[in-house]
Amino acid sequence: MSFIAIAILAPLAASLLILLARRMPVLLALLGITLSLVASLTLLFTVSSGGNSELLLPGLPNMPLRLIATPLTVLLSTMVAIVGSFVLVYAVGYMKSDSEKVRFFATMLLFIAAMQTLVLAGDWILLLSAWELIGLSSYLLIGFWYQKPGVKFAATRAFMVTRSADLGLYIAVFILIASTGSSEIAVTLNTTGSPAIAAGLLLLIAAMGKSAQTPLHDWLQRAMAGPTPVSALLHSATLVAAGAILLIRTAPMLTPETLLVIGIVGGVTTVVTGLIALGESDLKRMLAASTSSQYGLMLIAVGAGVPMAALLHLIAHAAIKSSLFLGAGVFQHSRESTMLEQLRGVGRERPKIFIGFALAALALAGIPPLSGFFSKDAIIAASLNSENIEILLPFALAGTLLTGGYMARALSILWRKNQDQKNNQNKPLTGLVWMGAGLTGLVTLAIILAAAFPAIKTLLNFPLVENISTEFLPEILGLVAALSGLFLGWFVPVRRLLGFLLPWANNGFALAGGFDNLMVRPAMAIAHGCEKLERIFYQGVLTIGRAGLKLGRVARRTDEQSIDGAIFSFVQGTVNLATKARTLQSGLIHKELAISTVATAMILVISLIALMVY
Amino acid sequence: MYPIVSITVFLPLLGALLVLLMRKSSPQVAHGIGIATSGATLLGALVMWSRGVNETGFAQVEQIDWMPSIGAAYRVGVDGISLPLVLLTALLFFVTFIYSAKVRKQSHSFVALMLLLLTASIGAFTALDAILFYVFFEVSLVSMYFMIAQWGHEDRQRAALMFFIYTFLGSLPLLLAILGLYLGSDPYTFDMRVWISDPPLDGLAAMLALIAMLITFAVKTPVFPFHTWLPAAHVQAPAAGSVILAGVMLKFGTYGLVRFAYQMTPDAFREAGVVILTFGVVAALYGAFAALAQTDLKRLVAYTSINHMGYIIIGVAVAALATDPAIRATALDGSVLQMVSHGLVTGALFLLVGMLQDRAHTRDMAQFGGLIKVVPVLGWSFVLAAFASLGLPGLAHFPAEFQIFLATLQVEPVAIIAILGIVITAGLYLRAIAQVFLGEVGDKWTAATMPDLNIRELLALAPLLMLIIVLGVAPGWVLDVIHKTTIALPF
Repeated sequence: MSFIAIAILAPLAASLLILLARRMPVLLALLGITLSLVASLTLLFTVSSGGNSELLLPGLPNMPLRLIATPLTVLLSTMVAIVGSFVLVYAVGYMKSDSEKVRFFATMLLFIAAMQTLVLAGDWILLLSAWELIGLSSYLLIGFWYQKPGVKFAATRAFMVTRSADLGLYIAVFILIASTGSSEIAVTLNTTGSPAIAAGLLLLIAAMGKSAQTPLHDWLQRAMAGPTPVSALLHSATLVAAGAILLIRTAPMLTPETLLVIGIVGGVTTVVTGLIALGESDLKRMLAASTSSQYGLMLIAVGAGVPMAALLHLIAHAAIKSSLFLGAGVFQHSRESTMLEQLRGVGRERPKIFIGFALAALALAGIPPLSGFFSKDAIIAASLNSENIEILLPFALAGTLLTGGYMARALSILWRKNQDQKNNQNKPLTGLVWMGAGLTGLVTLAIILAAAFPAIKTLLNFPLVENISTEFLPEILGLVAALSGLFLGWFVPVRRLLGFLLPWANNGFALAGGFDNLMVRPAMAIAHGCEKLERIFYQGVLTIGRAGLKLGRVARRTDEQSIDGAIFSFVQGTVNLATKARTLQSGLIHKELAISTVATAMILVISLIALMVY
Repeated sequence: MYPIVSITVFLPLLGALLVLLMRKSSPQVAHGIGIATSGATLLGALVMWSRGVNETGFAQVEQIDWMPSIGAAYRVGVDGISLPLVLLTALLFFVTFIYSAKVRKQSHSFVALMLLLLTASIGAFTALDAILFYVFFEVSLVSMYFMIAQWGHEDRQRAALMFFIYTFLGSLPLLLAILGLYLGSDPYTFDMRVWISDPPLDGLAAMLALIAMLITFAVKTPVFPFHTWLPAAHVQAPAAGSVILAGVMLKFGTYGLVRFAYQMTPDAFREAGVVILTFGVVAALYGAFAALAQTDLKRLVAYTSINHMGYIIIGVAVAALATDPAIRATALDGSVLQMVSHGLVTGALFLLVGMLQDRAHTRDMAQFGGLIKVVPVLGWSFVLAAFASLGLPGLAHFPAEFQIFLATLQVEPVAIIAILGIVITAGLYLRAIAQVFLGEVGDKWTAATMPDLNIRELLALAPLLMLIIVLGVAPGWVLDVIHKTTIALPF
């Protein structure tokens, strides 16, 4: 069997087995992800020696489903499998005392299988399916603790916002298939002209939903209601990544106009959500806002016409952000909270975890020689060389500055203690070994991943930046921005940094009441309007019945108070009349005949009246 | 070759007679006969499926002279449009019989009526003679009237009458249209195959016949603004009635739309295509919005039917407007598959709502909360069916809706606005799930007041849920049958 199929089917089969067997969820989960990882690595080995492959599956008439192994898809698949493995190892410890391990691991593996399908998909129908299925699995995972207050709303919100944006993907897919006659992604990338512009902008909408770009960023912070391993997974290599991956894969088709819009959306997002992260008072919500901000940077790179830079940052970010979440999860278990105030000084009590967290934070800020430095550098270089340098470069630098700022602020709170704070006795943690193992693996990746960048560049054979006229300018600019951010975040209180913006930032920069006011309320208003109309219709039908009743003078027992009664009496009357008119036995067929006679008469009379009126 | 179509059509009728002859027997015997007969009917439908359809025209045709002087005959047969519906009908009745085995009130009459309804339903989908079709069509109506009036809920009498009058008045225009088509044919015949291969009417006469047929099928489907009977009938009907009403009988409307309106007055249909399309779009959006406002779970599911049937109308209208045969086939494939998907998904949803109501004796969503903890099997089944209904890929509605929307965009891009419906249905189902199944469990619902599904209920539900997944993952085995017919349609 093809390794492409194994990469997807192994986690899927493990998920089903866990559900059916209802035992050994941990073992089956680790087995499933390991098989998937082996398959991805084998594929990586094969494609690096030039062996692309394809798997055709039956789909809709003339539109087969296909899975493809190309350098890009296989690289992403490997990333999913690696991050997935470490997160699952960590989850073994994190979920140790949870009673619903079966449901948890089954859903996590479904999630990973859906993501593997998404990255390996070679046709639009399969990609769209996987795209929606990761929406479903994240709904199930965010809502995992469905009994806790607010969780169900968070899950519903996440699904609704992304699904609304998914309409963009649906329509883009229809446009692409309609204009090329094929559902194969590679073929549709040849689209040009206005279909390409329309499809590009619609794809951007879909990507904005999944990657939580402004103004659709608010659901991601709410999604923190789920267990921490879920956040680690859906913020790094899976759900959120899908948006950026979509744009990276369709980059050859994007027109200059679309690219500019993408760059601006990314730029605005990186600044807006960066500010939100800076003002956030909850560690996990801060990390969530930071995810939007980092994906904003990736969109800047795509907008600058260098999707390769976005891809490098996506991979580096996957390792870094999952490390940060895993660290945050340990802190959360130590103090039973994710509020930064509650976590003050927790780093001193868990120094090893703190070191891992801090290394990942510095990597995200872009400090050499950690991986984030190189990927962010590629983005700044891309914006420097872009035609729209005056728009994209300030955004990219501001995003970098803000990253340093919020990471330093978090580190400072986690490390520094108040004078009067007593030495909290941390409760002993179960499963720390598993959590530590998962975290160590991901932090190591976050540190050294940059060493693999040259190999990735060769593998993908994408040009990174075409003219290298800038020498060390990007590195210097990036480092200055990152260091200033770190300095400000560590030494200056956030009230001074944000000033009057702080309350607004805490509110998620919601415009005009956000999703609730702009989407939910109008939809509900229309719905209630329809319901009112329904009542009017219902009354109308009954009124017509009553009119017919008077017209035919067939009423015997009319309940004038209740209009509903009228219709009942009408039929009763009809039946009575029929029985009287023809003294036949009452029976099925006669009843029908009688009613049909009267009904036909009624129709005739109504048509006559209608004719006279007009 | 034995006449499997006729056997499948009339086997349930024999079963009904048998039940009535054995009046004195216990309810278990009656239900046993019901399950066995519907099971045998399902087997018959499977044999029909294995015999398949032809490249053109109808397959498995069986014919006996009836009234040769007026050109009416007993003619039955299937093509790629009707065969999937026959299989769906047989399956839905089979699971409904299993689910209803608990009915103790006049169980003999119940089983006999259901079996009569089964004969009428399969008869309507296989009839190739207009008179025969009309007879089956009306018999189904009468059976459903008694079903609601006898075994319905608190306000059943009024709902049953409203249903009856509405759909009965609605079906009279079809009779006029059939007479018109008959008088237009030369030589006079009621053979539907002749009407399809050589449409008898044109010009104004065709348009009038089309309008008459559209009224009938719009009431049956139902299409806004002819839908008022549907919520009332569904809410009052017993769960078995709702499953059959939504799963099978609404399909008479869309099947008739294709078989009669689209195929017998094709030119007029094309002329009116934009109008029909508009009705479809309005129905799809209106149904979704009206469902969003509901607080009664059963009414909610009933309104989503209007939404889903709206997509079918859109698909058929788009097929009529399309000039490219490939796009036309895509639109019709999607429409017919949507009929099957809707039958499975809505059937499952009505069964689940019925099971919930059996336990709680209420359908008001505000009365529930956190039920997934109390009844996990029922809860997760509802989640699965709800996600299928909101069009999630991998589940039954997705391939159908994908094809309908794909064709719509290529033929009449403005109508793609109807796709908003998939977001609204997502919203209303997630709201319902959150309200009924998530959150904290009150003291009201415990394992004692609300036990999880029993074996009978599981047996009724499992085939539907499995097929929902199978049809979503691999729709090919049904689509191939449909496509064989749609790709060869001359117009």
